[in-house]
Amino acid sequence: MLDRIIGPRRTRQLNRLLHKGKVTILCLVLTIVVLRGNLGAGKFGTPEQDFKEIRETFYQYRSRRAEPRRVLEELQTTTEQTTSSVTTNSYAEFDINKLFVDEEDDVKKNVNEPYSIGPKISDWDEQRGNWLKQNPNFPNFVNGNKPRVLLVTGSSPKPCENPVGDHYLLKSIKNKIDYCRIHGIEIFYNMALLDAEMAGFWAKLPLIRKLLLSHPEVEFLWWMDSDAMFTDMAFEIPWERYKDRNLVMHGWNEMVYDEKNWIGLNTGSFLLRNCQWSLDLIDVWAPMGPKGKIRDEAGKLLTRELKDRPVFEADDQSAMVWILASQKDRWANKVYLENHYYLHGYWGILVDRYEEMIASYHPGFGDHRWPLVTHFVGCKPCGKFGDYPVERCLKQMDRAFNFGDNQILQMYGFTHKSLASRRVKQTRNDSSNPLEVKDELGLLHPAYKVVKVSSS
Amino acid sequence: MGQEGAQKRGSSALPTTTANGGANRRSVLRGGGNRQIHKTLNNIKITILCGLVTILVLRGTIGFGSLSSDNDLENQAIIEETNRILAEIRSDKDPDDPEDIQNQYTISLNDTYTLGAKISNWDEERSLWLSRNQDFPNIVNGKARILLVTGSPPSPCDNAIGDHYLLKSIKNKIDYCRIHGIEIVYNMAHLDKELSGYWAKLPLIRRLMLSHPEVEWIWWMDSDALFTDMVFELPLSKYKDHNLIIHGYPDLLFEQKSWIALNTGSFLFRNCQWSLDLLDDWAPMGPKGPVREEAGKILTANLKGRPAFEADDQSALIYLLITKKEWMSKVFIENSYFLHGYWAGLVDRYEEMMEKYHPGLGDERWPFVTHFVGCKPCGSYGDYPVQRCLSSMERAFNFADNQVLKLYGFRHRGLLSPKIKRIRNETATPLQYVDEFDIRHSAQGTSN
Repeated sequence: MLDRIIGPRRTRQLNRLLHKGKVTILCLVLTIVVLRGNLGAGKFGTPEQDFKEIRETFYQYRSRRAEPRRVLEELQTTTEQTTSSVTTNSYAEFDINKLFVDEEDDVKKNVNEPYSIGPKISDWDEQRGNWLKQNPNFPNFVNGNKPRVLLVTGSSPKPCENPVGDHYLLKSIKNKIDYCRIHGIEIFYNMALLDAEMAGFWAKLPLIRKLLLSHPEVEFLWWMDSDAMFTDMAFEIPWERYKDRNLVMHGWNEMVYDEKNWIGLNTGSFLLRNCQWSLDLIDVWAPMGPKGKIRDEAGKLLTRELKDRPVFEADDQSAMVWILASQKDRWANKVYLENHYYLHGYWGILVDRYEEMIASYHPGFGDHRWPLVTHFVGCKPCGKFGDYPVERCLKQMDRAFNFGDNQILQMYGFTHKSLASRRVKQTRNDSSNPLEVKDELGLLHPAYKVVKVSSS
Repeated sequence: MGQEGAQKRGSSALPTTTANGGANRRSVLRGGGNRQIHKTLNNIKITILCGLVTILVLRGTIGFGSLSSDNDLENQAIIEETNRILAEIRSDKDPDDPEDIQNQYTISLNDTYTLGAKISNWDEERSLWLSRNQDFPNIVNGKARILLVTGSPPSPCDNAIGDHYLLKSIKNKIDYCRIHGIEIVYNMAHLDKELSGYWAKLPLIRRLMLSHPEVEWIWWMDSDALFTDMVFELPLSKYKDHNLIIHGYPDLLFEQKSWIALNTGSFLFRNCQWSLDLLDDWAPMGPKGPVREEAGKILTANLKGRPAFEADDQSALIYLLITKKEWMSKVFIENSYFLHGYWAGLVDRYEEMMEKYHPGLGDERWPFVTHFVGCKPCGSYGDYPVQRCLSSMERAFNFADNQVLKLYGFRHRGLLSPKIKRIRNETATPLQYVDEFDIRHSAQGTSN
């Protein structure tokens, strides 16, 4: 047909051109596809990324619909979500991170505003004193000399990245529940990030401040990291020793005040009194915490000022060392750096000696003979990467847990078959006179748990 | 027609040769043979080219293991190591326990199983002990001492989500118990090899009763049950003449003999001789092996709606109470509030509850306990879709957590959100809110 219009020769040329064109385009397309498949093409990504993106867009679309103004609309959309989802019954296939929905946006903070942990309070001792007088049912000292203590610990509200992380968090809290039940201490397990700027290790500061102010009946707040475990169930903190002190941490005076060593003390397990002094300390401690430029700059300052500190952003422990060392006159007289027992015990030097301790000593010492706390610094079982080999960390955490658990089980006549074993065996026969059986450590009805019956 | 011409051309060679061929063919090619060779060569070229392209495209999508980057390799190695350790931890193998294999004997049908040494004078022993130990009274500040008992297996769950929800569940219980002055025992040990699984609570309850005479009530609660009313307190005065408080429906129990007439996921036992006797009478269907299997058959035959499986503690208790009605005089079947609240009918209404009602009611308006029966997050498969179970558990957890966070001036950003938002500004006089919002102050005021 074209023949008649432009002549046969021209037609042939045109045909050849068309051929060449077709083949060129085909090759071009193939090249692009192959390159994209391998290298990706910048923001266009690889086919795999494409698939993920498409999947995520759908999920995002579904969750964005749950952005209603009224509560009833929320109800509808959440039901829609649940019904239009994957109906698998298998837990292994489910991605938990697809579950969470934040229905309100993050509050945009004014960047120019300096960080403040809360409004300044200057008369906390009076406020609290008055409150305690008006509320005799909530005394701050129970049974005379023993202060009311609140143990505070916590973890992330999202599942751990490491699949066994949550299991070790569970064992850790069970361990704390056991110690605190025996010693009459209350527990607050935190799973909420109160202040987005103070994330990470700094998250304890706004939490501690909030708890001090909301629980005036609490005399001492005991912060304990989630990777620290009680290994001496019989040891009672010598409260009398600290009657004139407001902050008790494990550490050494020389290492903090003279050497300015960044591990001169440990903020993984410490006691803080509920008073004005503590609020002032928190106000001075907090400014290095806000994440971003402030924390990075503070980190550089701390690395410069403190001995042996590696280069990383500011952490609460280094900040505390620096504050105590540089403002010694203001704070040191109310701070007690305890090293006669392991208020914090670095696990590396303790865990291999448990069998030796069982053979030679008994619970109640709290020190190198039978540590109160074994703290697994650096293991990070909840994250993907710790500072130590995974196997060593997990196996030793199991041993420490069993070491502590044996002291609980012996109350009931059981013990673990070995420090590595989850199984338990009976240590004494069942008696038909259970009340005559003495528990060796006296943990069932210890002296520090008596209830002073008020004269009525 | 132009197309036909093109087709004729296209079928013989690539355009490249056609372009040159038009000029060179006359001079280079002499005969048909050469043309044949050229054609073959061209075909081979095309084949090789297509082959290469295919391989490259496949590599782009599927990839070759050995050609991945170093960083990936390192990650892979660590992930593999973690998985290996995980598998080792999860397996029930015990490296230090060689005798485990030999001790696999199970109780035969003729042996009688006992929970422990028979005790017949527990009431006297206990009151004697209490009179001698005035420092450990069974009533503190006007309230009877309660011990909440819960637990989970000592090994990690089959999947990580299970452990995460066990953690959230114990946090939820810690919060309720702190507010209400109740102590918690979290058990992770199998005290009795015979009574494993759901039966493990029996020897545990007995052991705790005998070791803690100062405890008046032992409250067993499953690990998959969450407190959703942080204000509600047990009306213990209602139960002064009863020894077992359990949620259920009397008509389902006596008339229909249904296997779900009662729920043993949340119940209270008074610390007394009667309870020890009931535990002794309850235990015989428990020992694993032929005893439990046979008992399961009896239970399926006698209880309505029960599927065929080995004996479980709930069916066994129901059967016991139906056949030996003398126990019923001291059993209180509670259904005026949700001592156990089946989750399916409750979880979707949380927003409605928040709008219309307030905590402290404990019933269908604001359930005391939401119990996730059948979800089994610690296992591999549940009876319900995972998405539904987990999102409902998350909602129940946050619903309860909101009541705890209220004192601190926060609440969750939606019932499925782990993030919180402020509902009250910080103030320099926080104690006014403590008086208003601390649940313990209102709890102290209510009489039991």
